[in-house]
Amino acid sequence: MNIETKNLIKTYNDDAVLNLTRDYNHLFFESGKINGILGPNGSGKTTLMKIMAGLISKTSGDVLYDGHPGNNDTPLDITYSSHRPTLFSRSVYENIAYPLKIRKYPKDQIQRIVTELLNEFELSDIQDHNAKKLSGGESQKTALARALSFSPKVIFLDEPTANIDPKNIKLMETALLKRKQLHNLTVIIITHNLSQAFRICDNLTFLDQGVCLYSGPPQGLIESSNPIIHDFISFNTLSNTEFQLKS
Amino acid sequence: MNYIINGFVEAFRLLLSFDPEITQIVLLSLFVSFSSTLYATIIGVPFGILLGITNFRGKQIVSRFLYTFMSFPPVVIGLFTALFLARSGPFGQFKLMYTPTAMIIAQTILVTPVIMGIVFNNATNSGYEVVLTGKTLGAGKRDTLILLITELKGTIMIALVTGFGRAISEVGAVMIVGGNIRGFTRVMTTFIAMNNNMGQYSTAIAMGIILMTISFITNSILYKYIIGDTNEYRD
Amino acid sequence: MKKKLTVFLVIIFVCALALSFAGCTTTEKALEPGSNGEIILATTTSTQDSGLLEVILPAFESKTGIAVKVVAVGTGKAIEMGTNGEADVLLVHARAQEDKFMADGLGVERFDVMYNDFVVLGPTADPAQVKANASADAVKAFTAIAAVPSTFVSRDDKSGTNTKELQIWKAANITPEGDWYVRTGTGMGETLTVTNEKLGYTLADRATYANMKDTLTGLEVVCEGDPLLLNPYGVITVSPTINAQINADGAKAFADWIVSPEGQKLIGSYEINGDQVFTPSATQK
Repeated sequence: MNIETKNLIKTYNDDAVLNLTRDYNHLFFESGKINGILGPNGSGKTTLMKIMAGLISKTSGDVLYDGHPGNNDTPLDITYSSHRPTLFSRSVYENIAYPLKIRKYPKDQIQRIVTELLNEFELSDIQDHNAKKLSGGESQKTALARALSFSPKVIFLDEPTANIDPKNIKLMETALLKRKQLHNLTVIIITHNLSQAFRICDNLTFLDQGVCLYSGPPQGLIESSNPIIHDFISFNTLSNTEFQLKS
Repeated sequence: MNYIINGFVEAFRLLLSFDPEITQIVLLSLFVSFSSTLYATIIGVPFGILLGITNFRGKQIVSRFLYTFMSFPPVVIGLFTALFLARSGPFGQFKLMYTPTAMIIAQTILVTPVIMGIVFNNATNSGYEVVLTGKTLGAGKRDTLILLITELKGTIMIALVTGFGRAISEVGAVMIVGGNIRGFTRVMTTFIAMNNNMGQYSTAIAMGIILMTISFITNSILYKYIIGDTNEYRD
Repeated sequence: MKKKLTVFLVIIFVCALALSFAGCTTTEKALEPGSNGEIILATTTSTQDSGLLEVILPAFESKTGIAVKVVAVGTGKAIEMGTNGEADVLLVHARAQEDKFMADGLGVERFDVMYNDFVVLGPTADPAQVKANASADAVKAFTAIAAVPSTFVSRDDKSGTNTKELQIWKAANITPEGDWYVRTGTGMGETLTVTNEKLGYTLADRATYANMKDTLTGLEVVCEGDPLLLNPYGVITVSPTINAQINADGAKAFADWIVSPEGQKLIGSYEINGDQVFTPSATQK
């Protein structure tokens, strides 16, 4: 599913938090691709994502899903995992199984899907642990597994691998890439990790103070002459070996 | 000093003899307070959750009112309830005055804001996140409600036990609407007050010990639940 | 694990509820000998505290099958309950207020029932010298107390006892005021406790004093026997015209019974520690 925004504005108490009406006023998040959103803190990234995910309302402008406008609610094929995900006070297994349970999947199918996910995310050992008692990495993995369990078409991720060790980062990225390739999953991901952005994203959108300064292939971001973007990139450590475009 | 010691001695003697009148009084107290806590839970929990997760105009004012009602003086509630239930009052024809039913009504009025307030507070803080997460996973209205109740289970337990504690230990409301009538509406607290007034300290102390024991038990349950919960939040 | 605990607690809760419900209904049934209705009897705290009602009421209840709900409040409140029709029958000891009640047309019938007496209590040291100079003269005793002035504890709650106390002050031409005059605003028992603590003087009904004698180690009777100290009781059936909930038949049954030879005999036979406390006084028809 593609998601587009046109001339999107969001104001809170007369303050324009998001004003995507100048250059790059038509943002296009491609279906079956990993779309990254970057920018300094407070630039409106989370607001943009939440609007597209149907979690908060827009003030004006259009959001289109495969060309059709939404209805101010979260479409059923979309999921969202926030920066610090809320896990339910039940076991890891039960958390991952939850979306399947409410969709009334048959019991054996649920077991099959959840067991696969537990293996994929290396959570099998702690599947009976209370989800509220997990470490940072374990919670993020559980949240991601839960969000992917019902095979959504689009997944919004808000800094899913912040504060996670490299091994688990790799694990989560692999899970996303796999589904992108096999199921055409559309991923829209906010990240502060520049090497991650260049590692997995097919295109990047850069926001600063509610305005979009770039949207397009990753290469274009580096070559941008915009001083703000330039500063942003140079502040982030980028070694040549980490620098690779998506394969 | 002597009569305090004598009082305690007499009290234990009385307790061990399992006096039928005392038993009846204790059972009645439990019945009245359990019932009112139950009704207060049925009313207070859904409303508390609903108000907590909705962002509506005037939410600040509503929460102020709610928190104020949480600590409303029981005796005043008793007074107002009596005005309504009295024979000359609007509900006089139901002959509720001086019955356990009237006591349950008064205590339900007392406890509902307590339960509602605690649930509301917690729902406001963490309920919203739960609703949002449910939404992102495809939960409909019914699923969301069930989700909220299970996630707020700990809070609901705390609210229940707190409400019960308030009910079983108050004397003002039950005295006014119940009348402390022997065999009908005499409960632990009114019994203690009456015996104190009559100078019968050992009997008052005996009942006081029973009341404190019950209070201790309910608070232990609460403690277990809170301690249980904090363990789960440790990193 | 948590689930098990919750289920367990819910079961306990439901059991406790059921048990207490069973407990209180069966006891209720035991005290209601046959269901012939019930009456609300408003009386004073001192009457209830005397223990008389516990002895005589079961006889009435088993004879008529009418359950008596005794609400013990101050005399003022009892009269008010009668005025508003919140009670069916009154048993009080405040003649002036009783007469006014009848004159206002609020009662159907009034009968004399019994009398007990008041006593003046004071500290063993007796600083006002009441025992020496006024052991049978209430007015003289009060005058002596006010003259020192010694601590005097008043119920100050418009009860029958308080009404009598004020009557005596009036007869002595004294308006009691000052730090020595302590107002408790509560029942007889508590007022006695306060008097004992402060080692002061007070007016009490003999029954309550007799019941509490053991705990009132600092006090003794310093004045008694004065005709002024007699405390007559009246029973009044409340007029059913006040509201539709009044059980006039039940009230009449009670009033008739308490003045009947049977009721009167029971009253006379009630003793505290071997002493008769109430003297029956109903005029037999």
